[in-house]
Amino acid sequence: MTAAVTTKPTAPAARRSERARLLVQPILVLFLVVGVLGWAFSRDLTATQKGSLNAANIATLTWQHVLITVVVVVIVVIVAVPLGILLTRPGFTKLAPVFIGIANIGQAAPAIGLLVLLFLATGTTGFWIGVLPIAFYSLLPVLRNTILGLQEVNPAVIDAGRGQGMTAGLVLRKVEFPLAVPYILAGLRTSLVLAVGTATLSFLVSAGGLGILIDTGYKLRDNVTLVVGAVLAVALALLVDWCGALAEEFLGPKGLR
Amino acid sequence: MNLLRKAIAATAVTFCGVLAVSCGLESGGALPLSVEPGSIQPVPELEGVPITVGSKDFTEQVTLGYIIEFALSAAGADVRDLTNIQGSNSTRDAQLDGQIDVTYEYTGTGWINYLGNEIPIPDPTAQFEAVRDEDLERNGMVWVDPAPMNNTYALAMSRQTAEETGITTLSEYADLVNRDPAAATTCVETEFNVRQDGFPGMAAKYGFDPARANRQILQTGIIYQATADGTQCKFGEVFTTDGRIIALDLVLLEDDRQFFPKYNPAITMRKDFAEEHPQVAEVMAPISAALTNEEITELNRRVDVEGEEPADVARDWLVQKGFVTLP
Repeated sequence: MTAAVTTKPTAPAARRSERARLLVQPILVLFLVVGVLGWAFSRDLTATQKGSLNAANIATLTWQHVLITVVVVVIVVIVAVPLGILLTRPGFTKLAPVFIGIANIGQAAPAIGLLVLLFLATGTTGFWIGVLPIAFYSLLPVLRNTILGLQEVNPAVIDAGRGQGMTAGLVLRKVEFPLAVPYILAGLRTSLVLAVGTATLSFLVSAGGLGILIDTGYKLRDNVTLVVGAVLAVALALLVDWCGALAEEFLGPKGLR
Repeated sequence: MNLLRKAIAATAVTFCGVLAVSCGLESGGALPLSVEPGSIQPVPELEGVPITVGSKDFTEQVTLGYIIEFALSAAGADVRDLTNIQGSNSTRDAQLDGQIDVTYEYTGTGWINYLGNEIPIPDPTAQFEAVRDEDLERNGMVWVDPAPMNNTYALAMSRQTAEETGITTLSEYADLVNRDPAAATTCVETEFNVRQDGFPGMAAKYGFDPARANRQILQTGIIYQATADGTQCKFGEVFTTDGRIIALDLVLLEDDRQFFPKYNPAITMRKDFAEEHPQVAEVMAPISAALTNEEITELNRRVDVEGEEPADVARDWLVQKGFVTLP
């Protein structure tokens, strides 16, 4: 329990500030969204700008962006957590560097390159072509933290479990995994923010998202559209990070809260 | 301490600035290749005259810039090369300031971007004359020798889609959108998607509902490939002189109602320079006349698809047309 313990003793002060952040962050998001939309719609927009900046279009693009992010996170969790567990089981630990290496490549390669490569390889465009490379791109933090979290479990605790007659599976479920959850959630929070950011590139392969506003604004030197797209993406990243913080607050093992 | 830091910072900034100015903004470098006269004969009035030629930073512009350079060099001028300037606005400013003397500029860009007009003129000749007159009057810029090539927006489709649908014009495309939107999936860039001289304007002109058209927004490079594949994109937005049109065997839809602005390149010079050296316009006239869409698309293809150097491609073309000869 050494690693977990070292982070916890300072808890009261750190926890108070974390709690305060949980309260402030959604207010900041609301402020950003209302502020940027109010600013944009109170201006005299040209016909071209109205083509991008209308309620229906902004809602559609934001929804596409949220959907991309959610699906990416689901894929990341489904792939990285079981893989991380497998790679810490006896007999499989030697494979860990291989998979970490692959995930490293995924994160090191430019996301835009992954998107275009997948398009060239499949010859198709659309939602999944935009989602899969971003999932690959955001895989590493969760995979690494799952492995790390399981490795950090004190062997004495596992021994105690086995000594009580628990099977290896039961020890994993009742002891190891709950203790690794804070690590996994911390990794997931990093992945989430990465996913929101890189989802602004999904539009390149017809997957939509707020990147459309950013690119339209950039190409046309239309800073209003550009700023609306960028600020909404920032607000979404903050919101998603907030959800991650909530999860950390309420999904961690009770004894460590 | 703080003062010292500021002093150091100021020195560093000045130094970098001086470095940038001395390297980047001198009035052009020497020509990368040399040429001898062909059908362009030495012009005594241009002998040794220093002329700086500029261009914007995309393939076609750089190639056109080199074409001017080799032509004027064959005529005897002392040509300086300032091709590959970042963006239209910088190139325009460089010319207004006198850093470059001659460049190929597009009529549509002059009319819409520089002169601030919103509605293009459908007829290429009328569009050229309108830009020429207004830009001379307002900015003292002379436009001569418009070329027949027209680098504008177009919709394109694969050879197979063309055969299956039998469509050749944008009017027939509009019919298809109205009749069966699912069969007319169209891939566009973000910019074209909202521009008034892009998709919304085209829909209004050709009489179809833009919301009904099944549109996908993609990155430019992907549009060409996806349109050639013909599965995800039946139709794609392209530029009419892009080399990939030949390389991927795409078929352009005819703009039969003359909607898209005309982007014919023409030679532009400041008034004082043009009056001092009227021979430049004479030398360039036959070259502009030879620049058709077919010719320039092939030159663009050699650079973008084959990976050749724009200077080599420009000189080869001038030699092949007999304007200049190899030394």
